[in-house]
Amino acid sequence: MVARRRKCAARDPEDRIPSPLGYAAIPIKFSEKQQASHYLYVRAHGVRQGTKSTWPQKRTLFVLNVPPYCTESVELQEKPDLAESPKESRSKFFHPKPVPGFQVAYVVFQKPSGVSAALALKGPLLVSTESHPVKSGIHKWISDYADSVPDPEALRVEVDTFMEAYDQKIAEEEAKAKEEEGVPDEEGWVKVTRRGRRPVLPRTEAASLRVLERERRKRSRKELLNFYAWQHRESKMEHLAQLRKKFEEDKQRIELLRAQRKFRPY
Amino acid sequence: MGPAPAGEQLRGATGEPEVMEPALEGTGKEGKKASSRKRTLAEPPAKGLLQPVKLSRAELYKEPTNEELNRLRETEILFHSSLLRLQVEELLKEVRLSEKKKDRIDAFLREVNQRVVRVPSVPETEEILQDKDGLNQRYFRKRALYLAHLAHHLAQDPLFGSVCFSYTNGCHLKPSLLLRPRGKDERLVTVRLHPCPPPDFFRPCRLLPTKNNVRSAWYRGQSPAGDGSPEPPTPRYNTWVLQDTVLESHLQLLSTILSSAQGLKDGVALLKVWLRQRELDKGQGGFTGFLVSMLVVFLVSTRKIHTTMSGYQVLRSVLQFLATTDLTVNGISLCLSSDPSLPALADFHQAFSVVFLDSSGHLNLCADVTASTYHQGWSLLWLQVQHEARLSMMLLDSRADDGFHLLLMTPKPMIRAFDHVLHLRPLSRLQAACHRLKLWPELQDNGGDYVSAALGPLTTLLEQGLGARLNLLAHSRPPVPEWDISQDPPKHKDSGTLTLGLLLRPEGLTSVLELGPEADQPEAAKFRQFWGSRSELRRFQDGAIREAVVWEAASMSQKRLIPHQVVTHLLALHADIPETCVHYVGGPLDALIQGLKETSSTGEEALVAAVRCYDDLSRLLWGLEGLPLTVSAVQGAHPVLRYTEVFPPTPVRPAFSFYETLRERSSLLPRLDKPCPAYVEPMTVVCHLEGSGQWPQDAEAVQRVRAAFQLRLAELLTQQHGLQCRATATHTDVLKDGFVFRIRVAYQREPQILKEVQSPEGMISLRDTAASLRLERDTRQLPLLTSALHGLQQQHPAFSGVARLAKRWVRAQLLGEGFADESLDLVAAALFLHPEPFTPPSSPQVGFLRFLFLVSTFDWKNNPLFVNLNNELTVEEQVEIRSGFLAARAQLPVMVIVTPQDRKNSVWTQDGPSAQILQQLVVLAAEALPMLEKQLMDPRGPGDIRTVFRPPLDIYDVLIRLSPRHIPRHRQAVDSPAASFCRGLLSQPGPSSLMLVLGYDPPQLYLTQLREAFGDLALFFYDQHGGEVIGVLWKPTSFQPQPFKASSTKGRMVMSRGGELVMVPNVEAILEDFAVLGEGLVQTVEARSERWTV
Repeated sequence: MVARRRKCAARDPEDRIPSPLGYAAIPIKFSEKQQASHYLYVRAHGVRQGTKSTWPQKRTLFVLNVPPYCTESVELQEKPDLAESPKESRSKFFHPKPVPGFQVAYVVFQKPSGVSAALALKGPLLVSTESHPVKSGIHKWISDYADSVPDPEALRVEVDTFMEAYDQKIAEEEAKAKEEEGVPDEEGWVKVTRRGRRPVLPRTEAASLRVLERERRKRSRKELLNFYAWQHRESKMEHLAQLRKKFEEDKQRIELLRAQRKFRPY
Repeated sequence: MGPAPAGEQLRGATGEPEVMEPALEGTGKEGKKASSRKRTLAEPPAKGLLQPVKLSRAELYKEPTNEELNRLRETEILFHSSLLRLQVEELLKEVRLSEKKKDRIDAFLREVNQRVVRVPSVPETEEILQDKDGLNQRYFRKRALYLAHLAHHLAQDPLFGSVCFSYTNGCHLKPSLLLRPRGKDERLVTVRLHPCPPPDFFRPCRLLPTKNNVRSAWYRGQSPAGDGSPEPPTPRYNTWVLQDTVLESHLQLLSTILSSAQGLKDGVALLKVWLRQRELDKGQGGFTGFLVSMLVVFLVSTRKIHTTMSGYQVLRSVLQFLATTDLTVNGISLCLSSDPSLPALADFHQAFSVVFLDSSGHLNLCADVTASTYHQGWSLLWLQVQHEARLSMMLLDSRADDGFHLLLMTPKPMIRAFDHVLHLRPLSRLQAACHRLKLWPELQDNGGDYVSAALGPLTTLLEQGLGARLNLLAHSRPPVPEWDISQDPPKHKDSGTLTLGLLLRPEGLTSVLELGPEADQPEAAKFRQFWGSRSELRRFQDGAIREAVVWEAASMSQKRLIPHQVVTHLLALHADIPETCVHYVGGPLDALIQGLKETSSTGEEALVAAVRCYDDLSRLLWGLEGLPLTVSAVQGAHPVLRYTEVFPPTPVRPAFSFYETLRERSSLLPRLDKPCPAYVEPMTVVCHLEGSGQWPQDAEAVQRVRAAFQLRLAELLTQQHGLQCRATATHTDVLKDGFVFRIRVAYQREPQILKEVQSPEGMISLRDTAASLRLERDTRQLPLLTSALHGLQQQHPAFSGVARLAKRWVRAQLLGEGFADESLDLVAAALFLHPEPFTPPSSPQVGFLRFLFLVSTFDWKNNPLFVNLNNELTVEEQVEIRSGFLAARAQLPVMVIVTPQDRKNSVWTQDGPSAQILQQLVVLAAEALPMLEKQLMDPRGPGDIRTVFRPPLDIYDVLIRLSPRHIPRHRQAVDSPAASFCRGLLSQPGPSSLMLVLGYDPPQLYLTQLREAFGDLALFFYDQHGGEVIGVLWKPTSFQPQPFKASSTKGRMVMSRGGELVMVPNVEAILEDFAVLGEGLVQTVEARSERWTV
């Protein structure tokens, strides 16, 4: 890869902006006023055979390094990701918009020719122009604040719709569970649930741990301690081992403190 | 102190502190060499980190040898634990004199001896001294002459590198000669020559404490007032003479007893370290090492210490004795003789407050410890020694893990140990004070040393006046420096400053009233006389008419400074010391946590007002009618509600013309053409609703139900109580009496729902997820912490000030973002819950100094910081937590704080600080502490106290300067601007029909954007309290050229580097982005270093 890339860069006839193999670099600035520009690295979206991608082949432009002030008009993501296609719009009440950083974009054109036109762009592109100003700084924060003031009615409506659907779903599930209650499946097994006539232990890890703990305690209560001579000997030895371990730990601590010169009183 | 008399007893001097101090530096160097050698041999703990111990089974369970068993048994009997034993052994190794040095010192002493004997024309002492030389300082003057003669001759000898004078124990009548060898041993040893009279030259009966040996006629040129009244006794003067006569016998006694057992010697060494860490042996009339050695001898003679004891046990026994025996009531004596001609203990008690007689029965060893002679019988120093001994015993009994360090290795300088200090300067004022207090007999006794004469009466005066406000008063006088033999000795007024330390009693600080006796009682006159013009007749509610003094103090901070008023008033009234000579250091740091316009309060009152408003709100919530589920708990979860918000909120009322209005949602919006409106941060309150079968068991659905509750809460609060509310899906903001609260509805089981994971077999297990941990932290742990710290504030009124000063400092250093608010609050709490070896701070000043000390010295790598709230963790649990900590160290945050509610995870430090930020804080604290302490101890006044709060800016690569117009908290800046902008508030608070602009802080919004966009490339530092500058540090690792990767192009560009295509940060464009993203807020972007050029 590296070798090929080098070759490609060296061969470049025009004094073009360096770009990685397969990508075109398009300079982009916020507005006329800026001197330096960032570079968008773009290529036609394509995937290896066999990989699934929801983005339409040929018509999609893949753009890297989109600056944080570009926030609108195309589908933006934090990381390149093939599978994600635009999902149904998420609730703005429950999933607030994240603060944008540098992003990647998938731009879907109507025709494949759009992609090639985009690839040939020389730039520099301007994000904010006089005819299409883009808000930043104080302007942006004030308008963001205004947008964040919630509309309680809209929220109520959304909650109600969701809960209606949810309640319906739960009701259906319950009905189904009730139907299956006590009915053996094709191999003859009957599913036991908490709702049945005789509720059983919930199938949770915590519950099973509790049972095990109770068993263990019951067993240990029956055991005799320090009864046989060997038990006595062993517990003494255990005590000695504990002391030895503690001693080793202490020695290590002292060694550390000595290394930090912590024993000089003043 | 080491009495090493001239003559042939030179051998005994080796064990004395003068010799040991310089020697210590020598041994230290050797120690370094030894340990570095050891470090290369034995494998050291990796990077100074403790590792869990791994011992093989065979090693753990092998048969013990006899030797091992003996050592184990010995450790158990003689020491608390093996750790303590090892620690003590290490310390002794550091302070003990090596054999090699001992030999060099002995050789030097022999040389000195030869030379002293050979000094030409030294007459025999019998020829110089005459009968009656004990009178009128005649002996002392001859002694000084003799010494000058010796000095003259010895100074010419090439053996000595320096020959100079100093005072013995600060007594200006008794100079001694200091001799140091020439060459490389100059710092190794100092020999002190004390001329002594022959042991039986003075008759002891002439030097009893009741006798006079300085005649008034001689001293004052007149006979004592009136006719026939007796000459005043001169107990102090007599003691000084006696000290010289018994010096030799004391030395012999010490060497016989102490050399009998190593344990005793070790014990004395430990005790000397203990004294020195507490500065008890410092300056004139200190509790010297000699005194404590004699105490050991006494305890040996009374069989409280026996020779088989370890050094640690000797230390413990002496501390135990000091803590429980009051030598001011029952003096002790080393004298075994029952000779009836000997003076009685009672005679001594009359002259001295602290009595410890030597073996001759004539000399009080503790005479110098008593500040005043027979005027008032008490001793500051003795009280302080007892106080320290009691604290130390408590520490030892608590079996704290780091007891050794707190006891012997932690210094307790006055400024860090006492809540307030005051300097009296210039000392020449005390001369006038002596006359005003009529202390002529004391002056006569002290040979004109007016500082010593005045000390006792002055401190008694203050102690009486401060009364219940005071726990302990201590004084410190800098030692008189040694001087060259060709110069004049220093004068009393040159001996610097007299510094007093006040340990306050918080319960006594709240009262502004000194209640006197009823007007018709005879004591009333005494009260009036004591308080002078401040005493007034007052009629009280119960009808009594009493004398009383009322101090002006409205706020907590002013009440804390009432001792200042008391001290200046009493000193001016009774001792003619004007206010200009009293430099009281108690509140200079208060300015840093004072509100914007308030100068008389440090915010405690404002916090109480906010908490009271919260209490009202919580009552409203409890009583709300029409909620489908009842409220089961209302808990505060905001720094204001635990008294640790640096700048507490004040009730606000907006000026509508300043804002845009959004009528249909009854809200105010910021306006483009106006400066940024005032910053209002809602105070979070968690409102738990009862559990019920109606709650759905699905995370998404719970969110919706909660949103419905938030809406309903807003509705009901508006309907039933007329409060302005605004609901969102996660919280409801409520405007009440000018304060804004953010109520978050919580459902107890929600974290559990978020944790549930179903395995393929249908088993439901609980796994922590980021969301569940966050929810648990916000709705369970945060309210618990808030209520615990709220409780702490009720016990320790200074907590709020300390926590806020600490937080203010960290933020002022631009490091605030690295530390969760709660983590710093907990560090501050630790200062109160674990104050050892100090007592809990009672002033923000001392608390802040200890915060800096803790931060700069704590070994975060190897220790968790325990904050044992409500004392819930037992010693055993702490041991267990500690070993768990070591085992899991690598997975834990760099800073680990353990509380009873949070034993393993250290939730408040999970998100930071990073190791670098913590290191930076440690470095800054280590720089700030000595600087601030020096400022506060400067008797000419602390100067600019804000110096340590100003951050160093030269370390940053880029500085982004912000426009004050859009910094809503601009006025909170460390250097508060003379003028700032109007922030759209009316001066009179009142109800508002529109919701305020909440949490709108452009610098914070800007920072969030910067971190999101450039967090990979740079770190951003800012002081949220009115900072005008953002410091940017590039991350060096991100500036390494990298090969192209589609996933990490953020803000980078492709460059051809040596024919290779690499990615580097596009710095030029990024710098312009800084300006673009902060349009309107950013004034300039200064790139300051060239480090980023790639």
